[in-house]
Amino acid sequence: MTAAVSLRGVSKRYRISPGRSSRLSEVLSFGKVKRSHEFWALQDVNLDVEPGTTLGIIGRNGAGKSTLLSIISGVLQPTTGEVEVKGRLTAIFGLGAGFNPLFTGRENAMLSGLILGIEHDEMLERFDAIEEFAELGEFMDQPIKTYSSGMRSRLGFAVAINVQPDVLVLDEALSAGDSAFKRKAIQRMYDLRESGTTVLFVSHSMGMVTRFCTDAVLLNKGRILTSGSPEEVADRYQEMVAKSQEKEGARTSERDAQLDYEIEHEEEEDTPTTSGAPATGRTTNTRWVVGGAEILGLELLDEVGQPVDKLSSGGRLTVRVRLRYDEAMEESILGITLRSEGAGLEVFSTDTTLEGDPLGRKDAGEHPTVDFTFAVPLGSGTYNVDASLTQPHTDGSDVARTQDAASFEITEEGAISPVRGLVQLPTEVEIHGLEGLQEGPGRPA
Amino acid sequence: MSTYTFKGKKSFAGEVLDSLATFYRKRWLLKYFVQRQITRSYKRSYLGLAWTILSPLIWVFFLTIIFSEVIGIRFRVVQSDPTLNFGLFLYCGLLPFMAFSEALNKGLNSIRSNSGLVQKVVFPVELLPFTNAVASLIDKLFGVGALLFIVFVLEHRLHWQVLLLPLIMVVQLLFILGLTYMMAVIGTYVPDMGEVMRPFIRGTFFITPILWPPERLPENLRWIEDYNPLSYLVEAYRGMILEGTLPGGLATLYFSLFSVALFVVGFALFIRLKHGFADQL
Repeated sequence: MTAAVSLRGVSKRYRISPGRSSRLSEVLSFGKVKRSHEFWALQDVNLDVEPGTTLGIIGRNGAGKSTLLSIISGVLQPTTGEVEVKGRLTAIFGLGAGFNPLFTGRENAMLSGLILGIEHDEMLERFDAIEEFAELGEFMDQPIKTYSSGMRSRLGFAVAINVQPDVLVLDEALSAGDSAFKRKAIQRMYDLRESGTTVLFVSHSMGMVTRFCTDAVLLNKGRILTSGSPEEVADRYQEMVAKSQEKEGARTSERDAQLDYEIEHEEEEDTPTTSGAPATGRTTNTRWVVGGAEILGLELLDEVGQPVDKLSSGGRLTVRVRLRYDEAMEESILGITLRSEGAGLEVFSTDTTLEGDPLGRKDAGEHPTVDFTFAVPLGSGTYNVDASLTQPHTDGSDVARTQDAASFEITEEGAISPVRGLVQLPTEVEIHGLEGLQEGPGRPA
Repeated sequence: MSTYTFKGKKSFAGEVLDSLATFYRKRWLLKYFVQRQITRSYKRSYLGLAWTILSPLIWVFFLTIIFSEVIGIRFRVVQSDPTLNFGLFLYCGLLPFMAFSEALNKGLNSIRSNSGLVQKVVFPVELLPFTNAVASLIDKLFGVGALLFIVFVLEHRLHWQVLLLPLIMVVQLLFILGLTYMMAVIGTYVPDMGEVMRPFIRGTFFITPILWPPERLPENLRWIEDYNPLSYLVEAYRGMILEGTLPGGLATLYFSLFSVALFVVGFALFIRLKHGFADQL
């Protein structure tokens, strides 16, 4: 079988000039003066994507993911190399490209479809499907300046996804709309995949990549670092990120900043939009939220059940989470996470299943409250608490979660002796006689 | 179902032909784009498309007041025909000029202002300057309609030569297209040149016999008129709409040849450089 998308030795070069005036002197000297340096956004990329594959493209910001997608979709021309695409390609990173706020949803949908390269007759045929999918109701005939941003992206998405492409290119575009729309969009993506559409997909969500993709490639600094099964590639990515975080320590060189600036369009596309986020209001889209239940509130209580935001180390804390189920669920897992703000680390997390208290079947409309009570033998500092609700036997995407829902402070007041380090571990000290050799740590390091 | 490949460089001639075929394949897109450009400015207003006719009427009204009644008396002496209102004379000359200057000014920005289309989707960019040129010409066609209406009301007759005006407009379209494509390239690659071009475009207004009758030119400055393709258009419009005369055959031939050459050069330049647009934005 021949590849649906095939790239041979594809490279893309950008010129980075120190300033506008140096670019001018270059232009005026017809390239004799060279003030700019070259930056290879992609270098010698070889890639074959079989028809029907769902390929996840992962990598850090600036790794060249968006450049790669732009080249595959034909928006950018490679500096060297060949690109071959068989069949109709639809790219969903230009959602709503060419939308004009003064024209109605219907007019814009038609225009958007034509821009995406769909024939006029075909658009007319598919219009009902698009209208139904976008769920805009009577707003379809209103100028889209009256639309919310969620409605706008729904319309753009509805057009792009209803045209039966052979190759679909997605750039973190699924964050459009509320959770119900999102589920529908994902369903539609599965349908497309089943019907043999090749999907190329950029994401920072490893959960999404491992769940949705059949293959993955990891890009780093414009080169394909590794390719293979999504799990392997995702592991490699996480390894890479962890390593560079160690190394980095908040150091960003001037040149990096420049690169970031020059390829900012890539940066933009990598940033998940928060428009139309589900109603908890605090959720972010860095991971998948599928909806179906909501976390109504998260409270921190002390031993007598009073709200608390300051604790002494070793005190007992109750994290109370109130939930509401919008759909019946056979089983769900509520987890909480403690994060040290100063160290930026996850200190502790647990969930209902881990603690042996499964939530059990919940019907739509139920709103249980769950208390987690534990001692906090932590060093002084501020800690954030978040909760997330997941369902077992899925990909690990969240039903609902919070972001910076609550925080408390550990103070040294009232503590017998302050905790040195992050956490007080229960420790026993034994001193062995003979040569006065001391074993075991005196205090946790 | 389409398959596409980028294999190094395509032959240049093949690419130009491809682009020309695009205009046919994308005719619906083109239609919506032109429509959008024309209706955009009227979309917010209550009267909507009626403005395409009303605004020329208001133009003529004010030009007539200012030039015929306030300072126009001097010109009337020059114009031997007393029925010829100078406001009409002026407006008739303004029409081809405005089609020209609007298309060029929009052309300078046509790629940059549509960066979303250029960078995010596979879009035939050659449609953008085309849209500008066609839309501004169609917009002026409404102006011609309004002008004919006024002439008919005032003189109770129209000249048959008007029927040949569409032929001139086809050539005029080529003329404008060639320049608009050039402006699009210039405005995208050298944004500063855009700022230089604007005063030039405006300046052509003064070296074209729009405000002043060509008879006023001293003999040693005649070449300004002779070598200015815009003055050919202005004279042709006036002749066919107001005076019932046809432009000279030789002048028409020269203008046609010049326009075709301009179009070929402008379009070829655009096609040659269009692949770099996405990187320039």
